[in-house]
Amino acid sequence: MTPDWILDIFAAIMLVVAAVSAARLVAARPWQRGAVVTDTDVSHLLMGIAMAGMLASGLATLPNDAWIAVFAVLMAWFGYRVARDYQASGARALAAGHCAPHLVHSAAMVYMFAAQAAPSAGGGGMGGMGGMSGMSTLHVPTLAFLFALVLIGYTIWDLDQLSGLRRGLAVAVAGAASPALVGASAGPLVAGAASEPGADGSLAADSPAGPGGTGHDRTAGGGRSGLVTVLDSPGAVVGCRIAMGVTMALMLILML
Amino acid sequence: MTNVAVAGNRTAWRGRFGTEPAATRPPLDARRALQLVLAAIWLLDGVLQYQGFMFTSGFNQMLAGTATGNPAVIAKPVTWDANLIDHHMVLLNAIFATIQLLLGLGIAFRPTARVALAASVLWALGVWWFGEGLGGVLSGAASPLNGAPGAVIIYALLAVLLWPAGRQVPAPFTAARAVGAHVARALWAVLWLSLAYFALTPANRAPAGVSGMIAGMEGGEPVWLQDLQKGAASLIGNQGLAASVVLAAALVLIAAGVYLPARIAKAALVLAIVVATFIWVFAQAFGGILAGGATDVNSGPLLALLALAYWPLRTVPAAPETVSVLSEEPATSASAREA
Repeated sequence: MTPDWILDIFAAIMLVVAAVSAARLVAARPWQRGAVVTDTDVSHLLMGIAMAGMLASGLATLPNDAWIAVFAVLMAWFGYRVARDYQASGARALAAGHCAPHLVHSAAMVYMFAAQAAPSAGGGGMGGMGGMSGMSTLHVPTLAFLFALVLIGYTIWDLDQLSGLRRGLAVAVAGAASPALVGASAGPLVAGAASEPGADGSLAADSPAGPGGTGHDRTAGGGRSGLVTVLDSPGAVVGCRIAMGVTMALMLILML
Repeated sequence: MTNVAVAGNRTAWRGRFGTEPAATRPPLDARRALQLVLAAIWLLDGVLQYQGFMFTSGFNQMLAGTATGNPAVIAKPVTWDANLIDHHMVLLNAIFATIQLLLGLGIAFRPTARVALAASVLWALGVWWFGEGLGGVLSGAASPLNGAPGAVIIYALLAVLLWPAGRQVPAPFTAARAVGAHVARALWAVLWLSLAYFALTPANRAPAGVSGMIAGMEGGEPVWLQDLQKGAASLIGNQGLAASVVLAAALVLIAAGVYLPARIAKAALVLAIVVATFIWVFAQAFGGILAGGATDVNSGPLLALLALAYWPLRTVPAAPETVSVLSEEPATSASAREA
């Protein structure tokens, strides 16, 4: 059996992902007029909490059925978005857009919660798997393997694209040291963010207003802390997606 | 950007992608694409290594079993390694899994790609000896059907062939960019000819050798895969000799293919991919992953990936520094960027 401490480490990583996503949501100030909230942050927050609960039964929150409903809604949402992107950009939307990976993530979550062959040992019907080392297995393991392959594929692609960005993180780091520099460099990206669309093969940044991160500037009057800048960078959100992809693939393989 | 709701005086829910200017998009040439596939396989291997089975004595016994039939000089270190792991099972296996995970992530992350590829060569060589007993090459247990000459050595070979070195001369295929066409072709020939040789060893050409090997992979597999394997095993039946000869002939053709004109080479490479796929599905049962307890994907996908690295490229005569139409950038700038 996979030792609990290893699963606890991955659960902790998922909680970090959830925390980062929650911080991004708060930084977007959704209670203010004109604020912009990204669906990916909501998705990452929910998945981080759910996966932490699956990995460590002590962190389980909702019953499996509730999580199935939540992720079915997310799956429908991202499915709708992928269909729209596909109409606009064709098959490239599947490789370049951010919605397709999130659709796969959501579908994998639905599958993991719905296809558990054995009832959780210690979760008391609260979504946990009694610690995965207690090991539920999944019905239709071939599907689990396919999900794992696709998730790994998207993870590798994200890493490649993230490390290929010349700006992204560099802008974030520079911005943390010099807010004025960020303000200057981010300006054109605001205009870029308002342009249509999208699926040109580049990284799905998921930042509210651009890879340099400017969405929060509009609500914060141009002043921003280094932390907000880092949170708003592509590295933060794509890093969350990479961590989630690896962890989800791990869970699927462990539950074969 | 794909706005879901227009931001007005209320909160807008927005998803977006593709705002990076085209000029800052990282290039993806054929070699980088193959590197990413290799990274994905390493990552999958790392995930597989975290499976519960790997933290049990079953993993240790599996390692110790690879010493059987090997010369003492090979077998003793394998046995020592298995004993060491037996005493520190959880810690060492967690380290093994994490190393493989990091190799995959490292190759995919451009700034660390070289380091990760170099580390993967060292790691693969170590695993080939201490974890696979040199793939059974010296013990007589090697067969192209069971992953000879050891799946992990193909990882090392791929890392060398896909090394991000820049060469000024146009390369006829991706694998030649790092080591040159002559060396790359020689490595290909050695690998596939050795597979042909292993296919004809006495154990593999025995009447029930091939069908027995296929049937032996059925345990724990999903029903549909078991049915496929049963069908293949019964089709071959006791015609092990004939099956081995046909397989060896195909492997020799594949080995020679890269020395032939591009059109025939492509046919040989397609044959290589088809053979690798058949081996992976029928003889290796997708590496045994669906049955649980697999440490890697086995050799099938790696042989197919290798074949893609030898796919002929069309060179562009007008631009000496341009490698191929599959490369989105000149070789020199590519190497500079990858560095």
